[in-house]
This record gives sequence, C-alpha cells and structure tokens, in this order.
Amino acid sequence: MRRRDQRPTVAPAPRWRFGLPRTSWLDNGLEVLICHRPGQHIASVCLSLDIPLNSEPRDIEGVATITQRCLDEGTLQHPGISFSEALEDIGAVLDGSVGLSASQLFLDVPTAALPQALLLLAEAVSSPELAESHVERHRELRLADIAQTFASSSRSAQVAFRKACLPRRFRASRMAGGSASRVARVTVEDVRAFHATHYRPEGATLIITADLTAEVYAWVDAAFSGWQVPGTVTPQHPTLEPRAPHRWLIDRPGAVQADLRLGALGIDRTDPRWADLQVATYAVGGAFLSRLNRVLREERGFTYGVHLTNQPMRSSGLLAVQGSFRTEVVGEAVQLAAQLINITEHALTETEVSEAVRYYTGSSPLRYSTAAGVTQNLAALVAAGVSADFIDANAYALTQVTPASATEALAGLLPPDRLTLVAVGSAEELTRPLNDIGWPVTEHSL
Amino acid sequence: MAHQAGPVWCDGEVLDEVVDYPIHERVLPNGLRVVVSPDRSVPVVAVNLWYDVGSRDEKPGQFGWAHLFEHLMFSGSAHVASGEHLQLLQSWGGSVNATTWFDRTNYFDTVPVGATDLALWMEADRLSSLADHLTDDSVDTQRDVVTEEKRQRYDNVPYGEAMTELTVMLFGSDHPYGHTTIGTEADLAGANAQAAAAFFRQHYRPNNAVLTLVGDLSPKEAFRKAAHAFGQLPGGERRHRQPPTALPPLTGVPQQAVAAEVPASASYLAWRLPVRDTAEFDAADLALAILGQGQTSRLHRRIVRDGRLAAAAGGQALRLIGGNSVGLLHVRAIPGLSLDAALTAAFAELTALAQDGPTPAELARAKAQFRREWLSGLASFDSRADLIGAYATLHDDPNRVNHRLAEVSAVTADQVQAATRQFLNPDQRCQLDYRNEASNATP
Repeated sequence: MRRRDQRPTVAPAPRWRFGLPRTSWLDNGLEVLICHRPGQHIASVCLSLDIPLNSEPRDIEGVATITQRCLDEGTLQHPGISFSEALEDIGAVLDGSVGLSASQLFLDVPTAALPQALLLLAEAVSSPELAESHVERHRELRLADIAQTFASSSRSAQVAFRKACLPRRFRASRMAGGSASRVARVTVEDVRAFHATHYRPEGATLIITADLTAEVYAWVDAAFSGWQVPGTVTPQHPTLEPRAPHRWLIDRPGAVQADLRLGALGIDRTDPRWADLQVATYAVGGAFLSRLNRVLREERGFTYGVHLTNQPMRSSGLLAVQGSFRTEVVGEAVQLAAQLINITEHALTETEVSEAVRYYTGSSPLRYSTAAGVTQNLAALVAAGVSADFIDANAYALTQVTPASATEALAGLLPPDRLTLVAVGSAEELTRPLNDIGWPVTEHSL
Repeated sequence: MAHQAGPVWCDGEVLDEVVDYPIHERVLPNGLRVVVSPDRSVPVVAVNLWYDVGSRDEKPGQFGWAHLFEHLMFSGSAHVASGEHLQLLQSWGGSVNATTWFDRTNYFDTVPVGATDLALWMEADRLSSLADHLTDDSVDTQRDVVTEEKRQRYDNVPYGEAMTELTVMLFGSDHPYGHTTIGTEADLAGANAQAAAAFFRQHYRPNNAVLTLVGDLSPKEAFRKAAHAFGQLPGGERRHRQPPTALPPLTGVPQQAVAAEVPASASYLAWRLPVRDTAEFDAADLALAILGQGQTSRLHRRIVRDGRLAAAAGGQALRLIGGNSVGLLHVRAIPGLSLDAALTAAFAELTALAQDGPTPAELARAKAQFRREWLSGLASFDSRADLIGAYATLHDDPNRVNHRLAEVSAVTADQVQAATRQFLNPDQRCQLDYRNEASNATP
C-alpha cells in the first residue's frame, strides 16, 4: 500500500469517444440530431437556424435579435401571455441567442414533458404573433441593454476588440444585437419580413439530448413536420479577413481598473492548426499556472485572473489576452503580457504540451456528462458549420501536437508587431504610461 | 393544442420515484463526515469538501478573511507547491475551484476517476499542513489578487455594491450576515500569515468538514480512499454552533441612495426571511418566484410586459442557515425614465399576493419551475456533490436531496399567502436606490 506522504500516481483514463447523435431529416429539410443519454432527467433541446447576421438589412441591424426576442411573446395558437404560461406550466424554460452565424433557441424541460415542449417550440418558430406592441417593447429593452453594455468595462472591451480586429465591411465587426441608431429603426414590418424570409426548416438543425426512446421521432414529427415556408434562401457565410492593427483607449473616467484585450484575428476549427492553437492557448493563458496567469496573478498580484482566449467563429476567430488590471500597473501589465505571448524565443516545452493535451482529453467526459453539456457543445459546432465527427477527430488531432507545431501556430497568429490593443479605463491615468512603454494609444469611443 | 391546466407530473408520489440518488454516509474517527453517491454513467469523480466556515464567522476587523484564506489554500502545503493543486489536477482534465459564501467555504475537484486518489491526497495535504506553510509574501500577493477581484466584480461594475449595502441595512454591521464575503480593503490589509494560520487551525479541521464523493466508484472504495487520505489527521468532537437567533421582520423602511453613476435607475428591496428550507422559507421562496421569476411572473407581466414601466423586474431568495434568509426584489428602469410607477406597481402586487394568495395555476407553475431547476442542479456530478455537501453540512441530512421536491411540492397556497403577508410586507422592507439623475431631468 502507498505510504500516506507519498503522492499517488494517476491511472490513465480509458479512451473516451463521443457518443455520436443519430442524424435524420424531416421532409421539410429540418435536420434532427438525437443524443440518448441514460439517467438524464432534464431534456436539453436546441433549434439552430441558419441565419448569418449579414442577412440583416444594413440599416436595421439588430432585427434578428428583436425577432428572436418576440418569439415567445405569443403564438397564433397560444396568443399573448398564454404561450409563456403553457411553457412554464410544464417546467420548461426557453432561452435564445443570436450569434454571427446562427440564431439559436434553447429549451430545457423535464423529459416527461418533452412532447408538449416540442410542440410549443415549433409554434414559436413557425407561427409567432409578432405584434406591434411586442416589437416596440423589445426595441426599447434592447436599447436599455445597449446602455448596460457600455456601462460595463469588460463588455465594452469585447465590443471594441471585435471592432478593432475586423474591417467595417464585415457584419462581425459590430455588435450582434445591433447599435442604438439602427435598433431604433426596426419596425414590426421589418420583424415580420425577417421572420417570414429567414425562419425556415431547411438548413435548420434540431438537437435533443435526454434519456430517450424511439418515441422521440414521433414527437419531433408531430411538432415540426407541418413547418413549411415557401421560397428558397441561400445563406451566405462570409470569410473574414483581418483589419490593420489598432491601439485604442476607451475612456472610463475614474475607473479603478482597466480591462485589456491584446491580440489579433485568429483561426476557426477547420484550420489545420486548430489543435496546435488549443494546446498553445492552454499553456500560455488557459491553465491556472499558464505563463500569463503565473506571472501576472500569482507572482505579481496585478489581476484576479488573466487568460489567453481563443474564441472561434465560423470563419476565423478572436485570439486575445484578456484581463482586468489595476490602473497603476497597466503599462507594466501590457509590457509583460506582450513579452509572454511572444513565444518565438521561448518555445513551448514538452511538459506544457503534454499537460495541455491531457487537459483536453481528460476533461472531455465531464464536458459532455449532462444533457445540457452535450446540446450546448453540439449547438456551437452546428453554428460553426462543423459536424459532430469533429469531436473525436479533434481529440485525435490533439495527440499529434508537438511543441514545435504548437509554438509555430501561436507565434504565427500573434506577431509582436501586428497586435491590436484595447484598453478600457481612465484615459487620464493610462495614456501616458502606455505611451511611455511604446504602446501609444488613440482615444476611441464606441 | 389543448392547454394543460395542472401538470400531472408534479404529483408528489411520482417525484419521489424520480429522484433517488443513493446516499452512503460514514464518520471517520477524527470526525470527518464522508458522504458517497455512486454513479457509473461517466468515468469521473467529483471530490467536494465543505468546511463549515464562511463570512458569518468573521469578527469585526476580519471582514473578507474567510475568502482571502480560501485563496491561500492554493498557496502550497507540505508536499504541494504553490498553485500546484490547481495546475496538476487541471492537467489531468480536472475542474478545480473553491468558493466562499456566508455559510461555508467549499473546495471541489471534479476529476477523471484515475485521479481520485491524487485529488484526495492533495486535499488532505493542505488540510493537515497548510497552516505551517504560510508566508507573509503569499498573503500579500493573494491580498492583491483579492483586491483586484473586488474591483473587478464589485467596484468597477454598475450596481456592484448593492449586496454589500443591503446586508448592512438588513442585518446591521455587527450581525454575522451584516457584511458580504468580499469584505473591506481595510480589513484585508490587516491579514497576515500568523492570523491566517490561526484561522485555519480554528476552522479547517476534519471534524468541521464534510467530504462528498459522487461518481464512478463504489461506496466501499470511496470510504477506503477517504480513510486512507484523511484518517490519520487529528480531529475531535464535531463543532456544534450555538443555535442562531432568528431576527423578526424589519421595523420601518430603512432606505438608502447610492451615489454612483449608473446607466439606468434601479431599486433593490430586501426582507428578512426564515431560515433556509423550512416550510415557511419554501413558501416565501415560491412567493418570490410567483412575483419575480419567469415571463409569467406578476412583476414581469405588470411592470415590464404590460405596463412597460421598467426594463427589468425580478425576485429571488438567498437561502441561509443562520437564523434568517434574505428575500430580494429588484427593478431596473428604462434609461432616462423614473422608477416611481414601477415601484408602486411592485408594492401593489406584493399587497395583492398577501391578500388573495396565488392562483392554483401560478403555484403549480412555480413548483414545476422549481422541479426543473432542482433536477438540472443534480444533473452534473459536481453540482450534485455540492448539494449533498450542503445538506450534510447545514442540515445534517444529505438524504434531503432526495426529498426536497416532495417538500416543496407540499407547500399550499395558504402557506404562500401567509408567508407573503408575514415576511414580504412592503412596510417591513429595506430599500436601496440608484438614481440616474442626469437622465431623470429629461423624462
């Protein structure tokens, strides 16, 4: 038996494979992914609509968000509040998210009530009321949201970094929910037209994860096979290109911290360097003792936490050092962060790479252990136009990553002289120190 | 489509069948309580430790220490280097963290089954030797980190000081719940290695902790592993707290305005509620759900949806064990508009619920929503372990995770009405106001 003061060894995890969903299609073109997971009491459902945001008319950007928010305000079958009552009566909750490449609805419900919940979900997408009063109110609430976004340092930094990394011709450079001036123009006619054109079964994907029997196919059929939309639409998903680097300071007078983003446009999951980049971001800014967090938090105490975030989109991605630092140390923090992500001279080590690979492979069973975990991860892949096979293929690709390949991937994506910097904080206190360390910034307002 | 009046699956008997997580419990000779709930569905084990110490145990001058010292639990012990606990378990695919709350400090390591021994060994190592390995340097660094946490999550965020202000108004600063876990910069400044060591020796003991293991192992294996890792640590009799005094509802309406720049006016209303998970608390919790959760809730319907008087309105209960819990309602204005009409409507809804009680449909709906939330909370190993640890630590009954649905299901409309009248009286609230004055000038 092991002595008590002796560190236990870790038994390697059995090889894990993702239990692939069963894929089928309804006659109207709706793709259905069914994931059976025994023991899960709560069914987790996503309906993903193939609506890239560049399908919004430019002058009413935000219409996709307003449309989605109006869906549960009443349907032809359940007018007004009776729709929400019907949903909540069965213990269901319906949420939505409007992303750059898909509008998605998420439904959680006890599995016993799944048939009723699917009927309600189908009603919401196929026959919402879209009354004028609903649109007016959600326009007003979206404007209130925008005010809250700009009052938040971290959300402002996110918006600014996206804008700084992408040329204006791309919809992705702007807020998914639209800016105040454009949201203010959205009318009920716009919403109805947007819904009539873009909410359609072909191209859409329904994901259901729960403890299921074959009965689920009949439930899906009963709910969705009657969903028919005339005409055809061919969604266009753009290929993004980077903007020239920018260094912006967003002024928040008196702020005690500055939110920083330092990075560049990255890559998406279809890029051959994807697994290399995953490994490199973990080592440099994902692990607790990553290069960034070890120095900036654990040694210097400059921040509650700093990460190198790798946020993939359908085309390319956003790659940035992200953290909130006390105002007095921002100059030094930027300098240190820039040094730490410049890994050409300090290549990733064997240990860093093997720990990162083990992290991703070891954490997979946990990531996919609940119905919600499976549905949410699949939903992200569907929005990115990637099939569920990606999960196992990616797990294999990770095992092929070497220190050289991971180093090369990150170094190539974050060239030191081509980095974009966004700082959200007190201009009065930050302009000079950033200038002094050779990172002159221009003031920018959102 | 036929409208279902009352969901049949909310029947109490059905619920008892649905939720039946196995619970095995043992106490080691040193007083460590070990609770095991096997689940072989995924090759993962959630290792969860609840220490029965939270911000309520901090004396004046120590506000924020329990949380600061939670950070120090990662700063290294006899056989583990600083930061290594997190780094190493993460590198095996584990999900590791800790949180501090009013009533407890919890540490969780959700790891692939093969790393269970390592997680237990590292938890035992820091429990047995942390106090001897603290340095003023590590305290200084983590104080800086915590100060940045406070700025990031409270000071640099609109409405970020609301809970801190409300707890003082509700309980008074000398009450155990009269301050929040993040504490004050002045008190954090007073912490040093010596004080931290004394705190650990007082509170971090096997006989003041619950170890919960959920996942891919048998009860026998789990108890053997727990005993091997923790069995040799000295312990003692379980610490029993003095039964806390329940404070009656507030008298009068303490009100306070925060002079902070915010994008829209907002008000937070708070009440003293009964202690968590009593029938009275559950009734008040359901009342707050009926008032303030979901699209069909009374406040959302009247204030946001129909009246368009505000941008958001909601409510919730904050469940606590020390004599009282907290009831909260909040209303946030449309930028530039006054909140007066929304607040008047909120008080009218409170009064109406107290006078007439909930409708049968409202009560059934609130219970159906509670059921989904509860089952979602039990779905993952880590949150299931945390709930089991909570009921073992605070209620001395880990099995209650299997009975909570039946308990909430049994609450009647009369009880909800009585709880609203007794505990959510508008004349016995405190109120915190943020006003967006520049905008109010142009309605």
